[in-house]
Amino acid sequence: MDSRYKLFKSKIGNSRKVNNLNHNIMEERKDFLKEERQQEWRSELRKSIKAKERTDIPRVKMLEQDPFERAKNSAEVNQGLTEDMAFKEARRCLDCADPTCISGCPVGINIPKFIKRIESGDILEAAKVLKETNALPAVCGRVCPQEVQCEINCFYVQKLKKDPVAIGFLERFAADYERNSGKMSVPEVLERNGVKVGIIGSGPSGLAVAGDMIKWGYDVTVFEALHEIGGVLKYGIPEFRLPNEVVDVEIDNLRKMGVKFEINFIVGKTATVDDLKADGFEVFFVGSGAGLPNFMNIPGENYTGIFSSNEYLTRVNLMNAADEEYDTPVFSGKKVAVIGGGNTAMDSVRTSKRLGADNSMIIYRRSIEEMPARVEEVHHAQEEGIEFMNLNSPLEYFADDKGRVRSMKLQKMRLGEPDSSGRRRPIPIEGSEYMVDVDTVIVAIGVSPNPLIPSSMPELKMSDWGTIIVNKETMESSIPGVFAGGDIVRGGATVILAMGDGRKAAAGMHEYLKKNVLKK
Amino acid sequence: MADLTTKYLGLTLRNPIIVGSSGLTDSIDNILELERAGAGAVVLKSLFEEQILIETEANLRKAYENDMIYSAKSESLDYIDLHIKEETLGHYIKLIGEVKSKAVIPVIASINCVSSVEWTSFARRVENAGADALELNIALFPSDMSADNEKTENIYFDIVSKILKQVTIPVALKIGPYFTNLAGMINRLSKTGINGLVLFNRFYSPDFDINTLTEKSANTLSNSAEATNILRWIAIMSGKVNCDLCATTGIHDGQGVIKQILAGATTVQVVSTLYKNGIGILNEIADELNKWMDDKGYNNIQQFRGMMSQGESTNPSAYERIQFMKYFSEIR
Repeated sequence: MDSRYKLFKSKIGNSRKVNNLNHNIMEERKDFLKEERQQEWRSELRKSIKAKERTDIPRVKMLEQDPFERAKNSAEVNQGLTEDMAFKEARRCLDCADPTCISGCPVGINIPKFIKRIESGDILEAAKVLKETNALPAVCGRVCPQEVQCEINCFYVQKLKKDPVAIGFLERFAADYERNSGKMSVPEVLERNGVKVGIIGSGPSGLAVAGDMIKWGYDVTVFEALHEIGGVLKYGIPEFRLPNEVVDVEIDNLRKMGVKFEINFIVGKTATVDDLKADGFEVFFVGSGAGLPNFMNIPGENYTGIFSSNEYLTRVNLMNAADEEYDTPVFSGKKVAVIGGGNTAMDSVRTSKRLGADNSMIIYRRSIEEMPARVEEVHHAQEEGIEFMNLNSPLEYFADDKGRVRSMKLQKMRLGEPDSSGRRRPIPIEGSEYMVDVDTVIVAIGVSPNPLIPSSMPELKMSDWGTIIVNKETMESSIPGVFAGGDIVRGGATVILAMGDGRKAAAGMHEYLKKNVLKK
Repeated sequence: MADLTTKYLGLTLRNPIIVGSSGLTDSIDNILELERAGAGAVVLKSLFEEQILIETEANLRKAYENDMIYSAKSESLDYIDLHIKEETLGHYIKLIGEVKSKAVIPVIASINCVSSVEWTSFARRVENAGADALELNIALFPSDMSADNEKTENIYFDIVSKILKQVTIPVALKIGPYFTNLAGMINRLSKTGINGLVLFNRFYSPDFDINTLTEKSANTLSNSAEATNILRWIAIMSGKVNCDLCATTGIHDGQGVIKQILAGATTVQVVSTLYKNGIGILNEIADELNKWMDDKGYNNIQQFRGMMSQGESTNPSAYERIQFMKYFSEIR
């Protein structure tokens, strides 16, 4: 088992606690899952192969583009599973009586059911199962950290100490299969009830709310500040990890279900929540994300050529900045340093390689074991020739006479005693400073919540972290009828946690509307 | 009325009475009140390196306990110590800006550091925010039995040297009295390029309750008897150092201020007396100084500063006497 699994165990325990808050829903769901498992087709399928035979099958390996080739193009690195590979992997799933994997999924996908649908050869049906609870299965199959969510809770890991069933790979397979088949199913929706629901932000949490609310018959409008729908899925995650086309197809599906999208619409500027209320919106979900980049505030950080990862990735992913002929091309550095050790850092450094850097470096103050990035992303980056300069931290940047960054002073670090997170604290080594030449620096050390919406709603209760305080069970804020989730509540989270918030908020909004609007 | 104007660290103060770094100097409202009450300058509440570390740890724990704040995969959480520190420093920088925009008296920022690693770049931000000067509070308690004497002393020089490279505003250094050769150390430090030395830091005093067997702090506020050791060292070092001397600890009234100036102090810092007597005491101290100068016929402070220093004394050995042989031998 990867050592990082253990490291994040405490957090996983916490997310379970959150799930427990929806106790009643979970109990009902448990009974439902039990009934489903007892259906004849699943019982037959279970009996068709002995458990020992299933557990003897080794975990499938994802097909990938050749590292040398892919570092020069923006096509997707992971190529997906073939049908044969997917069938074989689906046979590994034991269809457990107590499907612990589901407890690790923030949106509660019926994991054994969709995998058994794949095993039985009914892949379109598998995709339908995914869409029962997940508005963006092709996205989640690509970017969720399954290794610390559903897969770590798999029976194989928990009891057999073996590699888990490749749930993420199978999710992606089913969603891609459906998309490529041209037979995309559109989930059923209830008859429109005319109640207007406003969703602020079209990122993963907002889209998850939209997916559930539209199914329940509401008149759903998503307001997006940018010119593209998808939020962080579009501007933050590069094409080689999550093609925009995949996101667009899933958004299109929401459109087919009846969700309306308003782009270039900044709630708080274009119109306030009060304006929208006057337009008949009864309830709101704030999923405006955490778009404010953090910097280290060290000398020279304002020199030209030093970007936040937000700016760098948004310009490349959303504004064609990789194209020199375009209006606002991004400078394509040859010596690129990316500060940070998370997924955004990996996305940035790998993007820089694809834009032609000779040397793309990760500068991270802890060791590689402490990096918060997914194991897979670190592995891919290493394969692509990214240089990992662990236990280093920048102290200062230096520029040429035009103010363009040309070098940085790094300081070596050592690991001290563990802090409250259980991770060893990085301690600077005095006198270890040295210079490294760079022409581009990308700072990827996290983001803060976007203050625009909260500042336009002064009565909204905020935490010390600048996040919106919500009721954990309903996701309702201090203002009745205003719900929130995702990064504006969490400060920084994964796509799937944001979607989990969205689903929980949708349930809370539904209850609120039943009590306050539909009853009248 | 005598002229109380004083030059300290190259800054012009309306009088030599500075309110030292404390809880009284941590907000714009307090500082404006101190200005109205007659303070010559203020030293902002220290930013403690150690305190920021503790705060970071507490916030980190809070973030991990609150499952709604951050996820384990979040880069923000990964760098949360940096963000918390940045927020704390950001508040401090904001305070300097606010005070500078509203107060007329000089504002001296204060940094309490134990190493040279973290603070040097922050000093530049303090300068950019508009602070008139910087007081470095270096507090290394000599309790490490394995510590090398020379290395320990070098930490002071190392910090000072790095800070001086970062800023152009005047820098004062506040130290404690625990050195093997205090006079030599003060003299060497005064030649580093700093503009002032603040003598001495008053350390937290641990104590415990014999009934509950729990630790507590003792003597949170100073008393005027504590000023005598300061008086001795100001008197000894006056005229022998390359920078201003500021006296602090145990100075509670006008008489205390007059004594330190007579010994050679350029300025004094007061805190405990403000907690004990209210900030109105600032005016009383200035009045007492004024009255004494009038009575003695002094028009300005220069006329009597250092008059009772060791160098000017007719009995210089009195300042170096450490035993009370005669005094006690007479007690029957």
